[in-house]
Amino acid sequence: MDATVAEYIRRTVLKMPKDEIKMMLQKWGFLSEAQLQTLNFHQIKDNISHEVVQLCEENSADIKQAAALDIIYNHIYQNKRMWSVYQMKKSGEEDEYFDIADFKKKFKRRIRSALKNVTITFKEYEDNAIWIRVAWGTPYKKPNQYKPSYVVYHSQTPFIFISASMLKSNLPLLCQALIVASNYHDIREMELRSHSLNSLKDIVFKRYSQNFETYTPKPLQGGNVEPENADIRIIHENGREKERIHRLNQEAFGSGPQPQLEFAQYKLETMFKSGPKMDVLDKKEPFRCLVKFSSPHLLESLKSLAPAGMADAPLSPLLTCIPHKARNYFKIREKKKSFVSP
Amino acid sequence: MAAGRGPARGPTGAAFERRGRAAAAMAEEALEDGRTARTLPSLRQLSRALPFARSHGRLGVSASGRLTVPALCSQESADPQQTAFALRKAWTLYSVTPLHRFRRSRLSDYARLLSAFIAAEKQKGLAVEVGVELDIKVALSSLAELRGSELDQAALLVQLSSRSRASSKNSEDKLVWSGWFCSMFGDELSENVPENFTCLPLFLTHGAESYTSLVGSWFQKTFDCCFRRLAISPLNLSWMVAMWAGYKLERAASAVELVFSMPCLSQPLDISYAIHPEDAKALWDTVQKTPGEITQGEVDVFMDCLYAHFHRHFKIHLSAAKLVKVSTGIASAHCDGIVKILHSQYLPGVLMLLTELAISQIQ
Repeated sequence: MDATVAEYIRRTVLKMPKDEIKMMLQKWGFLSEAQLQTLNFHQIKDNISHEVVQLCEENSADIKQAAALDIIYNHIYQNKRMWSVYQMKKSGEEDEYFDIADFKKKFKRRIRSALKNVTITFKEYEDNAIWIRVAWGTPYKKPNQYKPSYVVYHSQTPFIFISASMLKSNLPLLCQALIVASNYHDIREMELRSHSLNSLKDIVFKRYSQNFETYTPKPLQGGNVEPENADIRIIHENGREKERIHRLNQEAFGSGPQPQLEFAQYKLETMFKSGPKMDVLDKKEPFRCLVKFSSPHLLESLKSLAPAGMADAPLSPLLTCIPHKARNYFKIREKKKSFVSP
Repeated sequence: MAAGRGPARGPTGAAFERRGRAAAAMAEEALEDGRTARTLPSLRQLSRALPFARSHGRLGVSASGRLTVPALCSQESADPQQTAFALRKAWTLYSVTPLHRFRRSRLSDYARLLSAFIAAEKQKGLAVEVGVELDIKVALSSLAELRGSELDQAALLVQLSSRSRASSKNSEDKLVWSGWFCSMFGDELSENVPENFTCLPLFLTHGAESYTSLVGSWFQKTFDCCFRRLAISPLNLSWMVAMWAGYKLERAASAVELVFSMPCLSQPLDISYAIHPEDAKALWDTVQKTPGEITQGEVDVFMDCLYAHFHRHFKIHLSAAKLVKVSTGIASAHCDGIVKILHSQYLPGVLMLLTELAISQIQ
């Protein structure tokens, strides 16, 4: 077995939490159950990894199997990576039957025609997700297994999720190979990025509970904003206002859980307008700003701003549009009286 | 020392407003449009060393005073080497009460004593480094140029270097920790203090917390002084960002950035609001009425403008959020009392502000 393959397998095992190694090796299926029984999972990880490598040596593992193990790890720990979303466009042909074998063949062929030194690995999952791992080399160097790109593609949709490696220069080739293999004509990057792959899927597949544009003439029943006080002598002064805010929030965000995003960024190039009494800046050029919101769960925190009194309700459409516009990067320019994001 | 005085708060509650004893004699002038500015009791020298603001009040002088950006005491011979160490490092801030019986002439003695103290503490098992055995070498030096007026004490620099015992004799020492005491126009404190005391109210450190507490304990024991972390309130941060945004920088500067944290939400939310430096300066220039003078009112207007612009887009009240960090091409400051200064030209100005804050905390 190649020394670099052995080292790569060893390092991949080291990345795994100790109590999950057995499960991941089982999922991998390369080592037999009998072999797995011989492993002592109670020793330190360093020793476990060496024993695993020895077993792989017995089975003559090559880079393909090592790559498969890496996909398994990254599929489970997908949220450690940053994912960007791309959308492919067809030129209006009828939906063709998707042939996975054909897809793989075309993809590999397209990449290899430009670059010989690559390692390409596929894995399909039950939710119709196809995971592709590509390790990139150069015409003169073998592929760097430690900085691969990952692609997730649901064949029934035009969306691609990419967690790129450092080598941005390989991105165009990757995109090209994807559209060729899937019979699309064009691909563009959406302004949508997050660590939570599932949340990205929720947003573009519209799987979250959305705000449907129905008008609710009376306040929603049930779902009180706060638990009622046992003492009826205590009343909320702003009861009406609280209800109004709650209702508007529901309309804007929907009542279900929000997709999980970590940040939203706005590049503002709008004019500065001073208040009526202020004798300040009145330039003809835009007031250039960059605003970035960050949170472990951005949409939930935005949702709680108005009820907390930190924001007006309804919240600005610049914020509430994030899920249904499927973007978290915006460029806002002034256009007459309304804001337009290109 | 200043026993009867508590930290007074002016109408806006700014920590910069303190009444010294001499301040009782100070007139509070009301300007035509209702803003107030303070007059100096006496302008000591209308020299280049004139402070940007007298520490007795706000950063501003009435129309009769002439102002410049403060310069270091002896700028003609200013050695950029002396101040270079202070730039581009994140310094943690402390206020220090005056040192009792501190003698400039005994610096090498103090270095020896501190060195022995650190070694002894390590023996006791309060080791700062595990693993490699390190000898800590202490160097104390005076920085004559790092002070504002003649009445300020020269800054005192403490540096801890390590040399691994394993390496050869002529291997280089590695600087592991530095800290310096400083007073920049801290006259208000020094003029009210008895003979034996040395006033260096601002203490800045860079390096491991464990070394900071070792050095701090030794100074506390030896000179009977008291250290306290110096936090910077959102109000003071807004002063800083307004002032620094107005400074002119020759080449392309970094953005004027304000970082807010929204409290009391189900999920924490941080907002970074970065403005192009030219646009921020343009805004400040229209707000500031008199060059060289800043009033609380102007800072408020500047901040309100920024809040209003933000609210227009996002409907969020930034004024309800907590300002935790400000950052400009000149310097950056964090509410936990951490600053980074990027330009030697503005070093005195920033230090002066921080000295005021330190003095305010001591009193």
